[in-house]
Amino acid sequence: MDSLLQPTHEAFHLLITGDRDLWTIIGISFRVSLKAILCATPFALLLAFLLAYVSFPGRRLVVSIFETLMALPAVVVGLLIYLLLSRSGPLGDLRLLFTQTAMVIGQIVLCFPILVAMGYAAIRAADRRAWETALTLGAGRPRAMLTLIHEVRFGLLVAMIAGFGRIISEIGTSMMVGGNIAGHTRNIPTAIALETSKGHFAEGIALGIVLVTLAFGLNLTLNVLQRREAQAA
Amino acid sequence: MNNDGQLCFLRLEKHYRERHVLSIGRLTLAPGRIVHLTGRNGAGKTTLLKILAGLEPPDCCDVSLDHRSQPWQAVRQRLRRDMVYLHQHPYMFDDTVTDNLSYGLRVTGVPRARRRRAVAVMLERIGLEHAARRNARTLSGGEQQRLALARAWLLQPRVLLLDEPTANMDSEFRQQTWTLLQEMLNDELAIMVSSHELSKAECPNCLNLHLQDGRLNAGPPSLHLVGQDRSPAQDCLGVIP
Repeated sequence: MDSLLQPTHEAFHLLITGDRDLWTIIGISFRVSLKAILCATPFALLLAFLLAYVSFPGRRLVVSIFETLMALPAVVVGLLIYLLLSRSGPLGDLRLLFTQTAMVIGQIVLCFPILVAMGYAAIRAADRRAWETALTLGAGRPRAMLTLIHEVRFGLLVAMIAGFGRIISEIGTSMMVGGNIAGHTRNIPTAIALETSKGHFAEGIALGIVLVTLAFGLNLTLNVLQRREAQAA
Repeated sequence: MNNDGQLCFLRLEKHYRERHVLSIGRLTLAPGRIVHLTGRNGAGKTTLLKILAGLEPPDCCDVSLDHRSQPWQAVRQRLRRDMVYLHQHPYMFDDTVTDNLSYGLRVTGVPRARRRRAVAVMLERIGLEHAARRNARTLSGGEQQRLALARAWLLQPRVLLLDEPTANMDSEFRQQTWTLLQEMLNDELAIMVSSHELSKAECPNCLNLHLQDGRLNAGPPSLHLVGQDRSPAQDCLGVIP
């Protein structure tokens, strides 16, 4: 039992005393994942809207593909991006491998299908009258789209939170295209794996506490948003 | 609109798969008139209103305005600008009563000061000034209906298209709605109202059209204006008696 209690005690100590290395890792994790979700969201929502409101042959197939990609293994994404960005790869000249930018790209690929599929579901579930009312009251299509997005904002926030939850805790892509470089591309999941392999359990547990607290916070926010969405409907 | 303010829809056709929903030779909407459209459930009343409002495409239709006849697609934006369509249960944006009321003015670029004045006047007119900051979805059904009518009225459309506005309303609310519609009617506004039934007392000067098997006919003779050989409803359809 001591093997668990002692490192846990040390983990809380590290968090409370503001251990610089630890908080650098947490900062990198949040910076990379927030950039990824903010870059992906506008394009994903636009695509979700088009899928929900524009009819074309194969639309259902495209939606099914995005729904399937929600479960895309992070290591597979990591492998593909590694091959693209490696020196011999088609984008090798950009020299992005083992940078935070490469991690952001990988996380965009991971959260994009979640944002599209969940955004599509939220927009499809919106009352059709909202769209028609906006149009008949004089809004152009872009303005009517913004109105519709405002009407389903809680559902779209749920999609963003789910996407963020997925990428902040993924390890496969970050490890493969980030390289786990201390102070540069080492984020929470890759640091946990490394510290555990070295037997430094306190650091691993401290970072684990941050992830679990974040997951709890996101889940709580999701519940509140879903309740508000139900009330707004 | 033509020079006399009339808007004419010609050769309007609409199918849903194999089903022929609408087949209308000519329909004219003239300002200063309320046209009352009847028809059983599923007769195509809502589809017709949405086509007129530019919200749903017909299979084919020409629209006569500004002295020339143009395909519906070519004037779709113009139709949206000139007409406002109200759903049977009007949609309220998840916002305050004031924001709902000013939506149309906001998206059409009316300056903020003018918008505020117009909204304040309208709130008082419909008796909802006490609820200005409330979420519009917390209003009663009758209040929402009044708010939706006022929201449309603020835009000063040429044609107001109302889809069963008095369905599920008690007689008092029905009368209030009809009174408001009569108040809104002027020399520049045409109103088209659909419903299952209408008592002559509610709208004594309505022109009646009946939609059956996709075709528009002049309404029952009992509802025509007394003392006319040719009913105004037939004028509306261009039917030669």
